[in-house]
Amino acid sequence: MDTTPTTSRTRVRAAWAVPAVAAVAVGVAFAAPPLLASADSAGLAPVQPDELVARVLEAEPQALSGTVVHTARLGLPDLSLAQVGGADPLNLLGGSTTLRVWTDGEARSRVSLLGTASEYSVVADGTQAWTYSSSDDEVVHYALSAADAARAQRLHDAAPTPPADLPTPAELGRQALEQAQQDATVSVDAATKVAGRDAYQVVVKPTSTTTLVGRIVVAVDAQTWTPLRVQVWSSDDARTPALELGFTDVTFAAPADSVLTFTKPPGAAVREVTVPLPDDATLAAHAEQSSALPEDPADAALPDGVTVTGTGWDTVVEVKDVDVAALLAGDPSAVATLPDVEKSFGGGEGANELFDQFVGGGDGPAVDLDTSALYDQLTTPVEGGRALQSSLLSVLVLDDGRVLAGAVPVDALRAVAGA
Amino acid sequence: MSPADTTTSVAAPVSASRAVEPPARHRGALARLVRAELALVLGRRRNLVLLVGLALVPLLLGVVLYLAQDTALAGQGPPFVSRVTGNGLFLVVASLFLCTPFLLPLTIGIASGDAIAGEASAGTLRYLLVVPVGRGRLLAVKALGALVFAAAAVLAIAVVGLVVGAALFGVGDLTLLSGSTVPLGDGVLRVAGVVAYVGLSMTGLVAVGLFFSTLTEVPVGAMAATVVVAVVSSVLDQLPQLAAIHPALLTHHWFDFAEMLRVVPSADVLAQGLAVQAGWVVVFGALAWARFTTADVTS
Amino acid sequence: MTATLRAAAPAVPQAGVVTDDAIRTHALTKRFRTGQVAVDGIDLVVPRGAVYGFLGPNGSGKTTTIRMLLGLVAPTSGRVELLGEPVPQRAAHVLPRVGALVEGPAFQPYLSGRANLARLDAVDASTDPRTARARAEAALERVGLTAAADKRYRQYSLGMKQRLGLAAALLRPRDLLVLDEPTNGLDPQGTREVRHLVRELADGGTTVLVSSHLLAEIEQVCTHVGIMGRGHLLLQGPRTELTARRAARIAVRTLADRADAAATELRRLALDDVTADRPVADGTVTVSAAVRDDAGPAPQDVTAALVRADVPVVGVDVRRPSLEDVFVELTGEGFDVAR
Repeated sequence: MDTTPTTSRTRVRAAWAVPAVAAVAVGVAFAAPPLLASADSAGLAPVQPDELVARVLEAEPQALSGTVVHTARLGLPDLSLAQVGGADPLNLLGGSTTLRVWTDGEARSRVSLLGTASEYSVVADGTQAWTYSSSDDEVVHYALSAADAARAQRLHDAAPTPPADLPTPAELGRQALEQAQQDATVSVDAATKVAGRDAYQVVVKPTSTTTLVGRIVVAVDAQTWTPLRVQVWSSDDARTPALELGFTDVTFAAPADSVLTFTKPPGAAVREVTVPLPDDATLAAHAEQSSALPEDPADAALPDGVTVTGTGWDTVVEVKDVDVAALLAGDPSAVATLPDVEKSFGGGEGANELFDQFVGGGDGPAVDLDTSALYDQLTTPVEGGRALQSSLLSVLVLDDGRVLAGAVPVDALRAVAGA
Repeated sequence: MSPADTTTSVAAPVSASRAVEPPARHRGALARLVRAELALVLGRRRNLVLLVGLALVPLLLGVVLYLAQDTALAGQGPPFVSRVTGNGLFLVVASLFLCTPFLLPLTIGIASGDAIAGEASAGTLRYLLVVPVGRGRLLAVKALGALVFAAAAVLAIAVVGLVVGAALFGVGDLTLLSGSTVPLGDGVLRVAGVVAYVGLSMTGLVAVGLFFSTLTEVPVGAMAATVVVAVVSSVLDQLPQLAAIHPALLTHHWFDFAEMLRVVPSADVLAQGLAVQAGWVVVFGALAWARFTTADVTS
Repeated sequence: MTATLRAAAPAVPQAGVVTDDAIRTHALTKRFRTGQVAVDGIDLVVPRGAVYGFLGPNGSGKTTTIRMLLGLVAPTSGRVELLGEPVPQRAAHVLPRVGALVEGPAFQPYLSGRANLARLDAVDASTDPRTARARAEAALERVGLTAAADKRYRQYSLGMKQRLGLAAALLRPRDLLVLDEPTNGLDPQGTREVRHLVRELADGGTTVLVSSHLLAEIEQVCTHVGIMGRGHLLLQGPRTELTARRAARIAVRTLADRADAAATELRRLALDDVTADRPVADGTVTVSAAVRDDAGPAPQDVTAALVRADVPVVGVDVRRPSLEDVFVELTGEGFDVAR
């Protein structure tokens, strides 16, 4: 009944409390689920590092579908320029990228690189693969020649090939743990949750002190022993991982057939690429290389002009007679001489395959970038050439045509170059 | 006007018997109020011009693409646009894609910024309130009017896009961003999903506009502020330094409608985008309510 | 200065006591966020059935008071009771019985007069939609707008807009009408019509509060008067009581050279405050004196005495004091002065 000043002011204050409460409630609603999800999961049976690594390496490849987020904080100059181009594998070098992966755990898989209103898909089925870029509506079909296909079939029957490399935490995690068996100490960290699943954490710490890699942390699903997340920490930044590849959601079930098959869309341009199958001798060497890890990478067959110095984490790759100008012009053959360097760039083998295929295609957004400007932006001048220093990798481009790269500081590269 | 006119005598106070209770609230009163509001919003010439303007986008885009389809320029342009000539359904998606960053927010900013401020500046707000109508109820009806207009704006683009696209290019099986092709029926459903998502993506902006509309008696101010929020949000969305707040930005998920055109649309992505809009609606709706139910009406 | 005058107002009502007054406020105050005190502790009392002239210069706080009465503006302190119900708490309940015209008419410019009325009617949850059309027609008819009902509001003249505002206030039977400056923008004919309408409504039992900054326009229809100045209610009460505070004057027009004789005769009749105006062009002069209704000579006796004293009487008039006179007396300043 009373409209005394107090009640009137109380009413006003009560009314404004509603949006304040609403804002807090909304904030909590958005912030709480990630906090809850990352809460430590108690109750996992303790496991020894060796056993954990063994379990991961023995685990059968799983049929799964999921979303993978790749985040790179390499300390490179901002590459957001590349984001303008939509779904583009170049984005893997900087910032955050979302991929969707589906695999039947055997020969068939689909990987989609998501862009705003665009998508770059790679569909693999045994010995053939398709890529489809929604931006230019182009299909590239990679296949073996008829003769090679028959040969590949025989090889496959004799010894089933491992599934195609996928840019998933599962693949990268397995590789990391494989390599962990040398020059590193392996320990088990507190259990965690990744993509809503309980996971063990394996920490791989290089014994070397020169390498830029501080440690690699692999989160392993407690049920399927599938790595769910890989974090690569630089030795000079302890707060955030320099590279992170992890599932944000994952389902261990066979994907629908429609996802794993590719039919050429009507009207799309198709480019056929016949992939030469290496002769049996090289193939055998390759198989040997992948089954038994080389004691010394220098033992592996190396292309001409490539030398490897150092071992393990301190490995430095040196390539002679690199035509930087041709590289910058986007000459595919020039790119092709640097596969090993690219692979150590991070992001998983499969991701690099995407990159190689894309850049190797010599078409698409990659050439739209002003690559020489990008080169100038990324590198800094040093005595006798230019250097790229990221938090995990250094590249030294010398004026005499030599290029050195490794997960070590630039000074280490210069020492190798000067030697 | 003679001052000597003193014939009026003091009237005896009329007995209190006239003080009858007012009739109870009639059933369907709210529906009547809503109908009146919709008639006002959708009958207003300025709003119709805005809708026609939006409808012109697919029309012009369709005609231009039709004329250019056999030239060297064919197949170029932003996402979706290059696909229109192959399938008229994409004219709907391409038009929405082109309108989403600016034209659609502009139109919706005008309608929602005008909702309360327009009545205040015309002076009609005080008359509505003394009719009387509860302030919360009036705000809700105004919000509904703005939402219906937003829906009409999206539908204007979609319907004209569909008709023009079908007439000029025909419709057929839909090629998704993933390269898979789905049958026409499925494709139409997916495009309808795109339209629905874009429409729902505008609800947060409507709430923001409604709040600004309660702050001022100058409709243009509220409209401009609303559009500025949308623009600033898109600018902030481009700054990598602010990556942490990007998911909460009003405009961050607007283009996630593309999810409908992937081989397996992710319910999570769509739900996340709509949840963010719901968050904006709740916060700014509450702000608008708090402001409007306590403010002095002096216009 | 106003303390004694306020005593004319009825005693302050106790909270919760249902009174027979149409409007009652208690210590109603509005201080805007700028710090400006627009209304300062006023106790307004409008008895049922009264036609209450709410007068005051522009800027004296009339409109802010009216906005508080109608729940548009929240009082900083004080209480409002409308038809026995507290406002704004019971505004939704009581406002359907109140018709209002606040600070000029306002409608959607691009709708017709009829459509505007239909819209307001649709907003009212307590009216019967089946009779909406008939009610709108009746209201238009009543203010003489039937012919222009389908024109867009923006094409209306100021007078037509004012009429439409009145029509909106009359959309349904009301127990109380609050009319803020209803004659604004109306020509003399329109002003007369409004006065007539107010009188007619009052005769029907409706209480009317009508505000104006032009005293003379509504003075004649009021039974009660409240005068605002600088946020204060300077005085209020039945109009006759207020004007009775000041004496009427008898004014005798005579030839200029007989003015002194006229003044002498008036004083001889024991009339007070005898004054003579300046002679006017036709050679006459007006000599006036205060008269009392209950004592002293009647006007006809004064005339007879003057004639006997050989004063040529060109004309005689008894002037009742106007509210403006009262106002000027109270405030010492002209009425139509905004502060």
